[in-house]
Amino acid sequence: MSESKDKKKTDIEDSADTANAQDRASSLGPKIKRRTFIQSSGAAAVALAAPMVVPGLKVARAAGDPVKIGHIEDLSGNLAVYGVQKYHAAQLAVKEINEGKTLKGGPVGSGGLGSMAKFAVAPPVMGAGDKDLKYVNDGGALTGAGMAFVEDDDVLVDSGESGLLGREVELIGPDGQSNNNIWQQLTRRLIQEDKVDCLVAGFTSAEREAIRPIVDQHKQLYIYTNQYEGGVADSNTFCTGAIVEQQVIPVVDYMIQKFGPRVYTIAADYNFGQLTAAWTKAFAPLVGGEIIEEEFVPLSVSDFTTSIARVQAAKPDWVFTLLVGSNQSNYYPQAAAAGLEYPMASTVNMAQGYEHRRFKPPSLNRMYNCVNYIEEIPTARNRAFVKRWYEMFPNDPYIGQMAQNTYFSIHLYALAARLAGTTDQEVVKKALESGLSIEAPEGAVFLEPSTHHCSHYIRLATADANHNVSFVREWPSIQPWWLQRVGVNLVKHKEYKQYIPGEDPFFKMFAK
Amino acid sequence: MTESLPLALSLLYQLGATASFLFLAAVGLIIILGMMNIINLAHGELMMMGAYVATITHHAGLPFPIAVIVSFFFVAAFGAVLELVIVRRFYGRELGALVVTWGISLVLGQGALLFFGPFMPSIKIPGGSFSYGVFSYSVYWLILMLACALLVLALWIVYSRTTYGLQAKATMQNAEMAKSLGVPTSRIYTLTFSFGAGLAGLSGALLAPTATIAPFMGQQFVAPAFITVVVGGATNVIGGAIGSSVLLAAVKTPIGMALGAFSGSVALLVAALFIIRIMPNGISAQLQKYLDRRAQGGWR
Repeated sequence: MSESKDKKKTDIEDSADTANAQDRASSLGPKIKRRTFIQSSGAAAVALAAPMVVPGLKVARAAGDPVKIGHIEDLSGNLAVYGVQKYHAAQLAVKEINEGKTLKGGPVGSGGLGSMAKFAVAPPVMGAGDKDLKYVNDGGALTGAGMAFVEDDDVLVDSGESGLLGREVELIGPDGQSNNNIWQQLTRRLIQEDKVDCLVAGFTSAEREAIRPIVDQHKQLYIYTNQYEGGVADSNTFCTGAIVEQQVIPVVDYMIQKFGPRVYTIAADYNFGQLTAAWTKAFAPLVGGEIIEEEFVPLSVSDFTTSIARVQAAKPDWVFTLLVGSNQSNYYPQAAAAGLEYPMASTVNMAQGYEHRRFKPPSLNRMYNCVNYIEEIPTARNRAFVKRWYEMFPNDPYIGQMAQNTYFSIHLYALAARLAGTTDQEVVKKALESGLSIEAPEGAVFLEPSTHHCSHYIRLATADANHNVSFVREWPSIQPWWLQRVGVNLVKHKEYKQYIPGEDPFFKMFAK
Repeated sequence: MTESLPLALSLLYQLGATASFLFLAAVGLIIILGMMNIINLAHGELMMMGAYVATITHHAGLPFPIAVIVSFFFVAAFGAVLELVIVRRFYGRELGALVVTWGISLVLGQGALLFFGPFMPSIKIPGGSFSYGVFSYSVYWLILMLACALLVLALWIVYSRTTYGLQAKATMQNAEMAKSLGVPTSRIYTLTFSFGAGLAGLSGALLAPTATIAPFMGQQFVAPAFITVVVGGATNVIGGAIGSSVLLAAVKTPIGMALGAFSGSVALLVAALFIIRIMPNGISAQLQKYLDRRAQGGWR
């Protein structure tokens, strides 16, 4: 039993929705119109036969008609290591929604409740547990006192229904094959043929930028769950990963204080690496740092002998590595074998590609990374999440940052759709812009309405010579502030572009 | 001024490392493409298989050098089966062989993903490091350079001092004639393909500690391998491969050191383009021509 686009409309629709429906109708060819007509007449016939379907009222679709979540990630190719994790995260979230579970949250704004508490001198150290989290030490006796955040034991609660709005949730998750052309084909297929209610997709910024024009052409609700270089201001896109303000700036600040101002950046040569490096360069002067050398490495390069010698010739205080993909991971064992012993910082390694588990110690010794999630986070809610994950996927090697983002993003979509009372995409977008926060395994995440980006619980994680992980600093809520600074307000003005730091005179002001 | 000696040594070391990387990436393909003229797109996956066999057997407790030898024989056996079942139907049909080996590469890559997951813990790079001046050197890369020299010697002995080598060269030059002279050409084809596959496995195993052990890791070697073999040319495949890997590394290293990895990669491709344009039959043909001319010039 199917209904036309118009039949799906609810009583809270507004003029924007009607305009949207018209746009869609006009952008599709005559064939599609005919199909819509046939579907409409079919639906009308059903309406006559079954009197409980009354057009114009808020009607739940039949249980047999699932809510479709489209999900594209790379299940094969150079980026499969991240894509498989993210796909499993989507499967876990969809399974939980269908089993009547939801993550706590709602339109209550950002932040959690704080209270006075005692804490240990040092943070706990986490070792490589086998499918379990293992404390190496708990940081010592409770000696200090101060503000602490209330920690729920588990954040997964009953949703009061199985599925979403009385319908089953179906995950359609094709393989992007680490190939941008295939990403575009799959996006068209998911939007035009499968007519997904929500698209959750994208690892690299190149993949995101390849499909975003298609998403905008069809006004598809799209959630990009990766951490990335920031700056996307797009009315149809919601970016739930951490961005430079949340990751690069805290870690650069810390590294400069701890190790010194001379920074060598070695980055993947595509939009993510280039823009993140540009951000680092723009921001470093504000905290007294200086980028002495930048090197951009093509994604296909896997022999780093020359790059390693260049780092040694430049003699930096520390190295900022923004290397992506399995080829570029080779840098770490090769650098360790060549005796390169500079402290390193990154926004992508460890938390995504679990290099600290894959490579023999001490390849990742003194690696610092500001993450919004890493499997080793020692909180009760995360331990519960890790346990649930490995119950479903006992053979998985690791749960990365992006996997967690995909997981809570799908729950966030369900939360918004329940608030909206419909899966109509324009209405759900408005619900997502209502100041929603969600209790993710990392901590509380707040979806900032005007820029479609999330505040995150950021932790500065570091690996020691045995690749044990500890957290040297924590920021319970860092806001994505830069798009607000440049005046983006997607609630008031629709936009479809990506801003880059060069557009903001703020940074030029501090450059030497 | 005191900096110039360490820099020169470091450049020499980088040149050696880059040339060994290119040579190791190409060594299996030298036989299969260079001699048999089969455009083997599954070359990278054969290397991947070697790396997996070495990693698995090493994690099971075998010392690394033995694990490398095990990979050679395992992948060689796999190559023999591949030749008998599939590849032999495509001799003389270059494009058919191209498509079928591409298919094999997809099956092997996806198969590895299905059976072993997206990653496998790596092998710790054997040997330590030492430094001179500001630069430091990895002992393992020096071992790899030595391994390349030994491989060259072994290949030279096999193809110029053994009956198999003689028969293989005869078969590849003119199979009909070789057969009429009593050479078991069918067995020679199987052996040669199997030897090429084994060498790919061996070099995959040797490069495994420096690489990420992943199902699609082989693809990083395919482009360097084809460039090295094609630039080397078919007149004398072994000499050609040595010449081209050293020459390409000599272009890539100083430019990469001065301007970065991106420029280094571009320089390598541009150099390959020029060499193929100037010497359409590769470095080895040019070398052969030079040697012939010298011989005619009355040196003897």
